[in-house]
Amino acid sequence: MTVLLLVLAVCATLLAGVVLAALLDRALPELAGTLSRQRIETEAPDRMNRDLAPAFYLALAAVGLSVVPFAPGLALIDSPVGVVIWGTCEALTIIVVFLHGWSPNAPFPLIGAYRYAAIGLPVMLPSMFVLIAAALPAESLSLVAIVDSQREVWNVLRQPLGLPLFLVVALTLTLRGPMDFADAADIAGGTSAEDSGAGRALWQVARLAMLVSVSAVAATVFLGGPLGPVLPGPVWLWLKTAALMAVLVWLGNRVARTTPSRMLTILWVVLLPLSCADLVISGVVAL
Amino acid sequence: MAVIGDTLAARAPAAVFAAIGPGRQAGTERLFARRDMRRASTPRDASILLVAGDIPSEASEALARVHDQIPPPRATVQWQGEDPDRIVARVMETLKDLRVSATGEENRLPDAPPNEWKGIGPHGQGGKGMMGGTPYGRPMAMTGPDIRDGLQLDRYSARIGPFAPMLPPGLTLEVTLQGDVICDVSIDSPPFAQPADADAPDLCLARVLRLLGLDRAADRVLGGKRPGALWVQGAISRGLGRIDGTDMRDRVAAWRKGEAAPLGPFDLPRLLIGAEWSEAMLILASLPPSALIRAARAPEAA
Repeated sequence: MTVLLLVLAVCATLLAGVVLAALLDRALPELAGTLSRQRIETEAPDRMNRDLAPAFYLALAAVGLSVVPFAPGLALIDSPVGVVIWGTCEALTIIVVFLHGWSPNAPFPLIGAYRYAAIGLPVMLPSMFVLIAAALPAESLSLVAIVDSQREVWNVLRQPLGLPLFLVVALTLTLRGPMDFADAADIAGGTSAEDSGAGRALWQVARLAMLVSVSAVAATVFLGGPLGPVLPGPVWLWLKTAALMAVLVWLGNRVARTTPSRMLTILWVVLLPLSCADLVISGVVAL
Repeated sequence: MAVIGDTLAARAPAAVFAAIGPGRQAGTERLFARRDMRRASTPRDASILLVAGDIPSEASEALARVHDQIPPPRATVQWQGEDPDRIVARVMETLKDLRVSATGEENRLPDAPPNEWKGIGPHGQGGKGMMGGTPYGRPMAMTGPDIRDGLQLDRYSARIGPFAPMLPPGLTLEVTLQGDVICDVSIDSPPFAQPADADAPDLCLARVLRLLGLDRAADRVLGGKRPGALWVQGAISRGLGRIDGTDMRDRVAAWRKGEAAPLGPFDLPRLLIGAEWSEAMLILASLPPSALIRAARAPEAA
């Protein structure tokens, strides 16, 4: 019974979250407009990967969300290594975005795919460091335990570097604003440049679903997830997730995107050492 | 469900791919700052082809190709200098008609490769081994010296333009890329002539902002407001597109103050060779259209 409720909660959260994300992006009517157009094929596409890429992206968002506890001690996948499962979803997102750019057999999507792969690696490293740093006070890689460890003080206060760094990761995973190197304007929409009709709409929906999942994970790891007074746990999780989604959309619309090579330098030279420092400081504090 | 979809779709801004002709750059760019119009970054994302002005006959085949890339149902709207409100009304009307009709306009070109298949060499494509050659008339990548370290790396040549949204209207470049580094570029056709209004500081700034992923900031600038964006200057590397001692950052700073940024003559290909694709597009956007047109025409005159 509980499992059934949790499955429902994950599906409902994703669905409502996608609608909210589309509203925040002012993209809901546009999605409907895209759906009404036909899909046209490029010459000699990789059909299997073209069709699978959006489906996988959506699946990764769903799996990522299912490790998130909706109430203290209650997650659909209550794994002792929840952080690792989420990390897998992050890493596989790079593969999925690459396949999305690879499959149409066209130059601009392919440039977007390679750019994203180059940016993705140095983004995944800080992501793992800040997530492991958050796991240290909990002495566990389980997201349920990480929530429990925040009963007195949230990780956002205990490890102030963690959430800002994780927001960079979130912008990358959701192909948004300053970190959207896969679908940038200078390459005519990059990996999406050849998408039309239902395929395009599905890819956009998957992007929005990933926004929901990554915000929910950030809310769980840094903002205490379902912890909070008066209101029931799931409501707190939804409120925190929605707030983080709004922050990410705002950042995506307001922060300029630099060139890929410059961003690579920033990631390796600034963000990676910062995330290392976050891990070391959190480790010393947790001792 | 279908009813909800239709109602929502009816409220969507019109997704329009713009093919901009001579003299129409400023007007078209201002048209897309409106809330009810959205400039699609690729024909695949549009349902309307907006043809602004008279497209010269050299570009008519390219226009037909762009038209055929728009997914059905699709329609073309010609804009010959009518009032922007009237053209938006016509686009909306056309969209409404499209929702009723099943397919809209037919293809203008046959759906076939540009050339016949000619079987040459061991794999039939010409070239060496599995690389190079021109199957169906299209050049395949072939290794060549990397311009950064001299090692051998695939070179891919393509013609981009004249309606590519990241390039100025009319400009067609023949580029050779290694990864996304431009190792050779030549100008196939210069940008279409534009009157001085295309050099307006707000239009120039908006072009740069769109490339930086700041569409809403660009719309705000065209509406006479501040861009309200973070890290605009910082995102542009120092020294990018340096001409006569001023670089792109200086020009963007001038445009933000509402000042023009006039430029002396420069060698366009030399400015682009060695740059990565995204840098090259930023450099092009940092050149006022009048200066760019002069530079692109210079080799023709010589």
